[in-house]
Amino acid sequence: MASNKKYWKSVEELNENSSIVDTLKHNEFVEEIPTDDFLGDKESLEASSTTRRDFLKYVGFTTAAASLAACEGPVVKSIPYVIQPDDIIPGVADYYATTMADGFDFANVLVKVREGRPIKIEPNKEVNGSTNARVQASVLSLYDSLRLRGPKADGQDISWDEANSQIGAKLNEIKAAGLPIAVLTGTMASPSTNKLIAALNDTFGNVNHVVYDAVSESAALDAFEAMYGERALPDYKFENAEVIVSVGADFLGDWQGGDFEAGYAKGRVPKKGKMSRHIQFESNMTLSGANADKRIALTPSDQIKVLARLYATMTGGPVTMEITPLTEAVSKAAAQLKKAGSKAVVVTGIQDKNAQLLALAINKVLNSEVIDVAAPRYVREGNDTRVAALVADMNAGKVGALIMNGVNPAYTLPNADEFVAGLEKVQLSVAFSMQDTETVAKSQYALATPHYLESWGDVQIKKGHYSLVQPTIQPLFDTRQFQDALLAWTGNTTSYYEYLKAEWNAEVLGGTSWNQALHDGVFASEGTSEVAEVSVDMGAVLGALPVMRGEGFQLNLYTKTGLGDGQQANNPWLQEFPDPITRTSWDNYLTMSKADADANGVVNYNVANGALNGSLVELTVNGKTEVLPVYVQPGQAKGSLGLALGYGRTNGMKSEMLTGKNAYAFYNDFNTFQGNATIKVLSEEHEFACVQLHNTLMGRGDIVKETDLATYNDSSLDSKHTWNKVPVVSMDHKEVEATSVDLWDAFDRSVGHHFNLSIDLNACTGCGACVIACHAENNVPVVGKEEIRKSRDMHWLRIDRYYSHEEDFGSDVEKKLAGTGVNGYKDTMAELEDPAENPSVAFQPVMCQHCNHAPCETVCPVAATSHGRQGQNQMAYNRCVGTRYCANNCPYKVRRFNWFKYAENSEFDYNMNDDLGKMVLNPDVTVRSRGVMEKCSMCIQMTQATILKAKKEGRPVNTNEFETACSNACSTGAMVFGDVNNKEDKVTSLAEDKRAYHLLEHIGTRPNVVYQVKVKNTTEA
Amino acid sequence: MSSHYEAPIRKPLVIGDKSYHDITVEVAAPVEGKANKLWWVAFSISLAAFLWGLGAIIYTIGTGIGVWGLNKTVGWAWDITNFVWWVGIGHAGTLISAVLLLFRQKWRMGINRSAEAMTIFSVVQAGLFPVIHMGRVWDAHYVLPIPNQFGTLWTNFNSPLLWDVFAISTYLSVSLVFWWTGLLPDFAMLRDRAVKPFQKKIYSLVSFGWTGRAKDWQRFEEVSLVLAGLATPLVLSVHTIVSFDFATSVIPGWHTTIFPPYFVAGAVFSGFAMVNTLLIIMRKVSNLEAYITKQHIELMNIIIMITGSIVGCAYITELFIAWYSGVEYEQYAFLNRATGPYAWAYWIMMSCNVFSPQFMWFKKLRTSIMFSFVISIVVNIGMWFERFVIIVTSLHRDYLPSSWTMFSPTFVDIAIYVGTIGFFFVLFLLYARTFPVIAQAEVKSILKSSGDNYKKLRDGNHE
Repeated sequence: MASNKKYWKSVEELNENSSIVDTLKHNEFVEEIPTDDFLGDKESLEASSTTRRDFLKYVGFTTAAASLAACEGPVVKSIPYVIQPDDIIPGVADYYATTMADGFDFANVLVKVREGRPIKIEPNKEVNGSTNARVQASVLSLYDSLRLRGPKADGQDISWDEANSQIGAKLNEIKAAGLPIAVLTGTMASPSTNKLIAALNDTFGNVNHVVYDAVSESAALDAFEAMYGERALPDYKFENAEVIVSVGADFLGDWQGGDFEAGYAKGRVPKKGKMSRHIQFESNMTLSGANADKRIALTPSDQIKVLARLYATMTGGPVTMEITPLTEAVSKAAAQLKKAGSKAVVVTGIQDKNAQLLALAINKVLNSEVIDVAAPRYVREGNDTRVAALVADMNAGKVGALIMNGVNPAYTLPNADEFVAGLEKVQLSVAFSMQDTETVAKSQYALATPHYLESWGDVQIKKGHYSLVQPTIQPLFDTRQFQDALLAWTGNTTSYYEYLKAEWNAEVLGGTSWNQALHDGVFASEGTSEVAEVSVDMGAVLGALPVMRGEGFQLNLYTKTGLGDGQQANNPWLQEFPDPITRTSWDNYLTMSKADADANGVVNYNVANGALNGSLVELTVNGKTEVLPVYVQPGQAKGSLGLALGYGRTNGMKSEMLTGKNAYAFYNDFNTFQGNATIKVLSEEHEFACVQLHNTLMGRGDIVKETDLATYNDSSLDSKHTWNKVPVVSMDHKEVEATSVDLWDAFDRSVGHHFNLSIDLNACTGCGACVIACHAENNVPVVGKEEIRKSRDMHWLRIDRYYSHEEDFGSDVEKKLAGTGVNGYKDTMAELEDPAENPSVAFQPVMCQHCNHAPCETVCPVAATSHGRQGQNQMAYNRCVGTRYCANNCPYKVRRFNWFKYAENSEFDYNMNDDLGKMVLNPDVTVRSRGVMEKCSMCIQMTQATILKAKKEGRPVNTNEFETACSNACSTGAMVFGDVNNKEDKVTSLAEDKRAYHLLEHIGTRPNVVYQVKVKNTTEA
Repeated sequence: MSSHYEAPIRKPLVIGDKSYHDITVEVAAPVEGKANKLWWVAFSISLAAFLWGLGAIIYTIGTGIGVWGLNKTVGWAWDITNFVWWVGIGHAGTLISAVLLLFRQKWRMGINRSAEAMTIFSVVQAGLFPVIHMGRVWDAHYVLPIPNQFGTLWTNFNSPLLWDVFAISTYLSVSLVFWWTGLLPDFAMLRDRAVKPFQKKIYSLVSFGWTGRAKDWQRFEEVSLVLAGLATPLVLSVHTIVSFDFATSVIPGWHTTIFPPYFVAGAVFSGFAMVNTLLIIMRKVSNLEAYITKQHIELMNIIIMITGSIVGCAYITELFIAWYSGVEYEQYAFLNRATGPYAWAYWIMMSCNVFSPQFMWFKKLRTSIMFSFVISIVVNIGMWFERFVIIVTSLHRDYLPSSWTMFSPTFVDIAIYVGTIGFFFVLFLLYARTFPVIAQAEVKSILKSSGDNYKKLRDGNHE
């Protein structure tokens, strides 16, 4: 940059022809360099101790040193801010409210952003948002290295402008040809997007918007529409329920969009002596069944009969279906429903409009307060008939253009081949997708969309409940939103953001602040709506119930807590997430009852290192065949099989993630129940990766303490000696409470904070959101299937799942005590190793118990693990030499060893091995090196941040202000974290509750984690 | 001590018509002669095993402990099993040289040199494991109480693993000094006989200027006695401390007060078995049958029988106490040992350690060289399994059934174990060719009292 600026150096320069200026110009040095003084005086030169040779040495040395110093040093890629953004303070996290809506999961969330990087998803509790494992893990999908990075046409990179103009031109051609344009999207529940699609219709005409849910709730939507006139799903407020009867509805899983566990858990914690009673009829062992007070395992066909009979019993009408052997159970359930009246609810997961109508009708008869039809939910909008019609039309050449957004029908459709064939007949196929999916590969245009954390948007999860999606990071790649493309195609030059804002100001906000709505993430509009009631001929409904006939097994398809519908299949956290029920990761499999397995010669057994192997079978349903492994599942209804959807994705996946088989192939007619399934046992075996290899509690009643409501309510009982027994030891020949005996001098815990974590076994549904939250918060590495098989999972927080051997855990204890004599004891214990046919299930989250007298601390030779002032058991990774003695001496087995280098190691090609995936790492937590022990730290980085924040603001820490990642993620309130030195903190009263107990109290470890005894409501009618 | 008299009932400890010079020549023979083919074969095999193990160790350190078969539940398996096994083997040496010295058991003189050598070599093997089992070997110096600039950064003196560090290093150093002291007159003997200048130079170096003056002998005797006094408590303390690794923990099956005596007995048991294994071969190969007699082997067999029975009692006591405690975790731990998935290991241990030594009640069997050799091997197999059973079966099913799993070794586990056996034999074979394998100076001191020919002379058997 040339400049004419003149810099004045002195006043002299004002004088033209100044001699001084002139001299200076020609003479760089003002004073002459006195070389003569140095070199001229021969005498002094000779007297100098520096000889010529020395001089040359110095020159040589300095040259060498200078050239060495000039060698290339390590390059650290860190880019400082040239201009620091106003709202970013390095080291301080920002939180943004946004909404996840990927067509399967809908959640109001807070996004933790550090230095411009979203690193964690938290539930937006201010608006009662809650998160499941997939929502928690979704932040990692943002940093998926195999995402589509830009628009493509026929596999070649193309610019957005070019793509838009080409597509626009083609759309005009199709318009001219008079062919319809189909828009195939997942459930978006987005008012503004719907408007944009309508605008597309205005521009090109003949636009057919088909909504397609990979895992359909079409039957329920149809039923609701038939009865209430609106295509939506009823909401359920399980907190109001006294009796819940579920027929095949896994409402604690993904049934009708899920998100019911918070309400359910509220009703499950005994308050004033009351809690809800939950009866579950189902074929697969689901989370709901595992949490039920009574679970009846029965095949899909029997579920239909049970529902019909339940309806008949409730209404007193004629029983149209034959009486199953379960009459008594149904009658009892009906009696309890009747007794509870409006406080009861019936839900069903049978994918049939008539079955759904029956459940709605029963709730109507009950006048149920639990079901909310006035403000229904819009989290599923898919319409099976229209999807089927679209595929037929495509094949018939009746579709001009197919524009897809957020769907992957080439993978999720049962008739994917037909769809792909049809896709080739469509003149223009455009797939908007974040990932390189099977559908993208078959489409002409693959348009890369941003992740929801890079997007704008709006979602109406529930009637009147509007949520906003806002970006938390600049798009990582050359991506554009579907909506932006729609705007471009319809000739609208505004950006989607502006459009959305205008739309909200005009339609939603009603004059309130946009900024406030954006800050909150949610806008709830006032006003009630009328519920239209349509009368339905129940007689016809009963008559039209489906009948599953035929020989063979009945297959019940389901979605797993980890992968759901399979959208996030390339997410290593979710792949490694152990299924809450089977505790198996990295797989889907057929679940089969023990009886059926024995009858068919199917085996599950543990190999030498404990890992589980299972038989492979060839499953054939409706002419389609797939080779699948079998997992013998306690509680699986005899004659039924379970199989998870969402696995077996092939495109856009790292090779490690290519797990399982695609079960959508069996998802005929979008029905999760498939009859006539046959299996052929193969001689080969499959290797499972289970994190829990022993399934029963072995009668160890002090690990998961359980009681029933009647006992709990009996005030005449002293809990310490009856249902919440405190272990006793012998001291001076007297039985005293184990906690009163102490080998150690205790620290003074009354000063400062003292953290406790309470885990309510009644409220914990086993959903596993905490497991992923812990993963994200603490940079827990993913180790892969092979390592999991070697029992080397790294989860700091695990949810143990136990099955009972007898009907319930109490009977296990009795059985154990009854086994006397050497042989009696031996045989009893051997028997207790096997779970019952339909066992009771208990979930128990276990993480480091932060023992006040920690066995790990005394044995570490280098004092790398020691006790903190605030109750935590701390790990100094730098000091750890990795003797593993602490892990051996941990009674809870919560310590995890870094067997290998898990970060930046191509052997472990997960998120910590690529630059993009590493962006999710929490900068507040060290990435552990090989050879050190790690474990739950009680999120010390979070508690310290809370303390520092309070200190900076010059106030004491507020009541209930402390949180850990797990307690934050827990939507059921099962995990409560806090400071027991603050009497007001919720955890203080919980720690002293009469349900409170410590795990393995008799060892005397004095943990800072408290469990609350599980209470079951066993009262029958 | 003044007379050479020994009761006629005592069996001679040196067979044949030996003179002092015969002893000198026979002990020096393996050192001065050439190695035979058998030695080279054995040495090559041992060296190969050692190098294989070394490779496995390097691989472990370079890649991570994950190359072993360990997991989240079983954090120790072959590593610490091997460690305890080798430390146990290392017990016999000190017991023979120190305790038997204090008890004035003259029969120790024929075997103490090699027993001590075995001790030192096996402690070297043992010492390897606590080091290489660390996840970060390069930080192994953290276990030493080295003053540092971090002030309070210090080792944890509550940790039994730290006690191990001191116990093992003390044991190794005392054993080494004791061994070397005993070696001085014998090295001097070799030095005096050496003809090659290099040999002479080396032996004069290692004999620390021994001249054989009366003063030398007097000091030698005194030092020996003092060191024996120092080493005797070590015999008890080392394995007691090793047992604390387990006894002070909270894991059922480990948390046992019986461990110290039980471990010491087991260590002596396995140590004597190993001495038997080595000496039965050596007396044959190096023609030392006159000095390592059947009598020696019989006496060692008796010790094996006694200590084996003590160990057996300990096993039974453990079972009894588990039942008697009424603690279900404790009860299950022992039920699981005997009947669980590792029952095979338990019953190998039981049959090798408790049943097999009982054969030694029969004089015919305990004086049979072949049978003693077989039993000595069986005992060490049993003692390896004892440590495996204690470590792995206690860990693999402890408190919470959700964490229960199994352990299975990888080839690296096996290679490292075999490698230490190789290393041990490399050292021992080198020792057998370069050291006086019998404490000839001491044997000479009992020649006149316990030598076969002198006994005969004295006892009037003049035929």
